[in-house]
Amino acid sequence: MNGPGLFTTHVPGTSWLHRAPLWLKLTGVVLVGTTTFWFTSWWQAALLLVALLAVGLGAGLPTRRVVASLRALGPVLVLLGAFHWWTQGLPEATRIVVGIANAYLAAGLLTATTPVTDMLDGLVRGAKPLRRWLDPEVVALTLGIMLRSVPWVAGAFGQVRVSARARGLERSPRALVLPVVIHTVAYARRTGEALAARGLTDPPTDD
Amino acid sequence: MDRTTLELRDATVTVPTGAAGTRTILGPVSLRASERRITVVGANGSGKSTLLRLLNGLVTPTSGTVTVGGQDTVREGAAVRRVVAFAFTDPLSQLVMPTGREDVELSLRRSHRSRPERAAAAQAVLERFGLAHLADQSVYDLSGGERQLMALAVVLATEPRVLVLDEPSTLLDLRNTTLLRRTLASLEQTVVLATHDLDLARDADRTLVVDAGRIVFDGAPAEAVAHYRALVEHS
Ligand SMILES: Nc1ncnc2c1ncn2[C@@H]1O[C@H](COP(=O)(O)OP(=O)(O)O)[C@@H](O)[C@H]1O
Ligand SMILES: [Mg+2]
Repeated sequence: MNGPGLFTTHVPGTSWLHRAPLWLKLTGVVLVGTTTFWFTSWWQAALLLVALLAVGLGAGLPTRRVVASLRALGPVLVLLGAFHWWTQGLPEATRIVVGIANAYLAAGLLTATTPVTDMLDGLVRGAKPLRRWLDPEVVALTLGIMLRSVPWVAGAFGQVRVSARARGLERSPRALVLPVVIHTVAYARRTGEALAARGLTDPPTDD
Repeated sequence: MDRTTLELRDATVTVPTGAAGTRTILGPVSLRASERRITVVGANGSGKSTLLRLLNGLVTPTSGTVTVGGQDTVREGAAVRRVVAFAFTDPLSQLVMPTGREDVELSLRRSHRSRPERAAAAQAVLERFGLAHLADQSVYDLSGGERQLMALAVVLATEPRVLVLDEPSTLLDLRNTTLLRRTLASLEQTVVLATHDLDLARDADRTLVVDAGRIVFDGAPAEAVAHYRALVEHS
């Protein structure tokens, strides 16, 4: 399964976005993520999309990668868009779909301009206040991997669509959604198991 | 390096099978091993993976005990996992970071708190495995063999004493399998390896044949392979 576009690896650079502190970028991602709840109209979401694209290109990220990452999400967006168009009309469908694209793009901008090691170190620092209840290393690892799994799920949709088409089931939502859920659960299990095998989810050592 | 002793005492693994039923998928198995290279052969579904997973506590015995170097995989699981590294068939399920370097650094987070030291240690590991030139590529862009070696570097970065590999060559072609064999031969770790590749299986000091959840043969690799062949042909 491919890790498409912005999420694959960190794009080295010295732009203001690369240099911006992690907490600021994380706050940005969270804010963009919440706009799906409080934006009331599709054009707000569209404006934000334009702004995010400008930020990405302004930070010197290759256009090809930005486009590729959105294309990977394409099938998910088409499916969701069709569903919401049918149930709630076109403007609402646009608002939702563009909102999701925005959240995805924002997460992609974060991972593309932040080395994973920096991200983990930053998240560990951020999770320190929770250490009475949770191991900050595990919190950081979980969040880091969740961020990285977004494109994987998008990739799973692409893959499943190809095999559904091969079986002539391309228009059946069941044939698309069910395998993705199964793939995703299997992926999460395998990842969890690999992390456990490496001792990364064990409590920190006393020695 | 002193060999770490692996010991199973009457270990069984039982799994639930729906409507309050259970099924014993392994054991009871007893085994004491301290050879440098141990291989495990057996048909699909015979229990090889379950046996291997017992060795680092990924699977815990339903009854009986499993110890590594005297440490119990249940009570001292974290300590056991620091001693026993585990490599899966598919390196992509092992590699969780975008690049090999970041994944090696992830392995070293616990042992190296300081970032410059961690980076230097990671570089040393990558060089030792001849992977430094691939370290900053996306793991998706590596070939199957390169990925498998990268996954090995990642789990060996913490210098475990035992390396367990579950069918590491199943996804590899002949050339990459040869490369894997050469890498394994150069390791000082105790290696426990399940495989369907009988050449790889013969490359051992001791070979176990697993069938229907039991160890049905335990001895010299050549004899074990012959035993396994006979088993397959008579079923
Ligand atoms: N968690 C589990 N739950 C139920 N059955 C399992 C589980 N793990 C393994 N099995 C079953 O146990 C048997 C042995 O599996 P496994 O150890 O993976 O064999 P092998 O690696 O030799 O192919 C198989 O029949 C498998 O389906
Ligand atoms: Mg197996």
